[in-house]
Amino acid sequence: MNAKIVRSIVRKDAMMAIRNNLVLIAIIGGVLFSLIYYTLPSDVEEAYDLAIYDGGSSDLMEILGLTSTGGLEIHNTGSLNEMVESVKEGDYMVGVYVPADFDLLVSQGAQPTLTLYFNNGFPESSRSTFEYILRTALDHIVGAQGSSMIEYEVLGEDMAGEQVPLRDRSLSLYIIFALLMEMWTISTLIVEENAFGTLRAMLVTPATSADVISAKSVIGILYTILVLTVILLLTQSLRGNPLALAVCILVSAMFSVSLGLFLGSLTKNITGSYVYVSVPLIIMIIPGMLIFIPDVSLSIVKAIPTYYMANAFDAILNNGAALMDVMGDISVILVLDVVLFALGIASLRRRIA
Amino acid sequence: MTDCQSNNKIFIYYANNVIDAGDGMIIEAEGLTFRYGDLVAVDNITFHVEKGEIIGFLGPNGAGKSTTVKMLTGQLNPQKGIIRIMGHDVTKEPKAVHERIGVCFEEKNLYPRLSVRENLKFFADLFEVEADIDTLIKKMDLSKWADDKVETLSKGMQQRVMFARSLINDPEVLFLDEPTDGLDPISADSIRKIILDEKRRGKTIFLTTHNMAEADMLSDRVAFINEGRIVALDTPENLKLKLGKRLLKVKLRTGNGFTEQFLPIDDKDTPMKAKEFLENENLATIHTQEATLDEVFIKVTGRKLEQ
Repeated sequence: MNAKIVRSIVRKDAMMAIRNNLVLIAIIGGVLFSLIYYTLPSDVEEAYDLAIYDGGSSDLMEILGLTSTGGLEIHNTGSLNEMVESVKEGDYMVGVYVPADFDLLVSQGAQPTLTLYFNNGFPESSRSTFEYILRTALDHIVGAQGSSMIEYEVLGEDMAGEQVPLRDRSLSLYIIFALLMEMWTISTLIVEENAFGTLRAMLVTPATSADVISAKSVIGILYTILVLTVILLLTQSLRGNPLALAVCILVSAMFSVSLGLFLGSLTKNITGSYVYVSVPLIIMIIPGMLIFIPDVSLSIVKAIPTYYMANAFDAILNNGAALMDVMGDISVILVLDVVLFALGIASLRRRIA
Repeated sequence: MTDCQSNNKIFIYYANNVIDAGDGMIIEAEGLTFRYGDLVAVDNITFHVEKGEIIGFLGPNGAGKSTTVKMLTGQLNPQKGIIRIMGHDVTKEPKAVHERIGVCFEEKNLYPRLSVRENLKFFADLFEVEADIDTLIKKMDLSKWADDKVETLSKGMQQRVMFARSLINDPEVLFLDEPTDGLDPISADSIRKIILDEKRRGKTIFLTTHNMAEADMLSDRVAFINEGRIVALDTPENLKLKLGKRLLKVKLRTGNGFTEQFLPIDDKDTPMKAKEFLENENLATIHTQEATLDEVFIKVTGRKLEQ
């Protein structure tokens, strides 16, 4: 490999990317992401669904419905177990268990216990609000405060104070989208070299296929790092563990480049390349969208490589994860980098021959 | 030394009469073979090219010209045989070869969104040479368009850019595939002059063309390739003399115009017939007519070049 030749190809590709408007598209994309980012709420959601299991048709149910103001939807569940599971799974953020003998105990002047169940993603600040609503409803029944005990339980690990606003959850989606755009840029540069016949022209000079592949990889990785950094700067999201973030950006950029090399080598026809690139692009955006919509969990998305990138970026940027915390995701991406890079080189060499 | 080998009988006849490449051999191809599946594209061909020589490589489409050029320039590895360019094995030392050759492709393969100057500069960088790009652009009569994007240029202008690119590293061997294709007669002539200039500067040129007149005009020797084999290789003059039919063309006046008759010069009755014509008061013109390379090609291959 010849460093000077690689540098010349990188310089030429940078010029081509600018002339092809690929850079312009990336800039517009980055600005658009930022605009969308700032239109999303920076606070966590305050309106939640409430699940209730009432063993004995207590008057509390009716009063609770009247007492609560907007932002509260009440749903009855068939059993205590069903209610607890639905709150744990995130179908409902809060559950209330009303014992079967609640009204009887109240009428006898006893102090029955109500249990509140919170999903671990439910904001801590809102827990007291719920407790207040419940206590107000109880006051209507028994006419005095403290006539009933209220207990609460957080299901799963308590994430109080760690809830992520919609705006920040959306970052993973933008990053995945940007990575896929870079993949498209690299594949376009490769396809154009084939379609214009310039790859042949280069390979009868001292440039070797290794020089060409190295140059495409270098420009792809640099370009991806640049675009991701710009997006994070524009959204004021350049935060989290710097080492973890740097490693995650690097392995993700390598993924974009290796996938771009592979897809770009599959065809020498520019129009045909849109098919080869757009199908994986649509599939690979899904994990980013699912993090954007947290209540949807599909285990099948783990088969999509970008799931691991979305997961790792979300953990680093929104949950303060360190490198070791995301090592599992990064290892998967690295393995994919190696496999795709090997496939890309083999396919490109075959195309050159 | 036998300069080329083939099973073709006509070729064997000529193999004894070809120019020996001598010690200054720049291109040595021995027993080159390449198959695409069951199709034999190049079938055991051998030839040598001397320093400073222009060799014209002619054959119809699908004859094996492009595959041969691809092997000679290291784009394809021969499945059998050896190629040495300036003493370097192309398969084993491609870099040593690529540094010293220039290739002008038949199909346009420039970066359309880069300017003429940027295209040439990029390739100069790949060769790591400080090329005098402005002089080269001027030589190709492209100065006015030096900073225009290649995609805005006509096909002929793009062809000239490609030709300029093949000279960017001042190569010792030039592989030119249809270098005047698509050019107007004046541009084509200027390219031919540059080719001859390069020859005078001691460059060796491997010229692939469909244009017989061009091959005749430029080439020291021409090779006819057909069905993957070299079927003739000699100087154009020798090929025409030995394989073409020399004729005596006689034009006689008739009542309203002229009639033409052709007499084979080598026939034993021709001198007598010629004398009779010379004495004929209706004789308008009489002159010899040399065979053309086209005719030789048809005789050797049984087909026209365009087929």
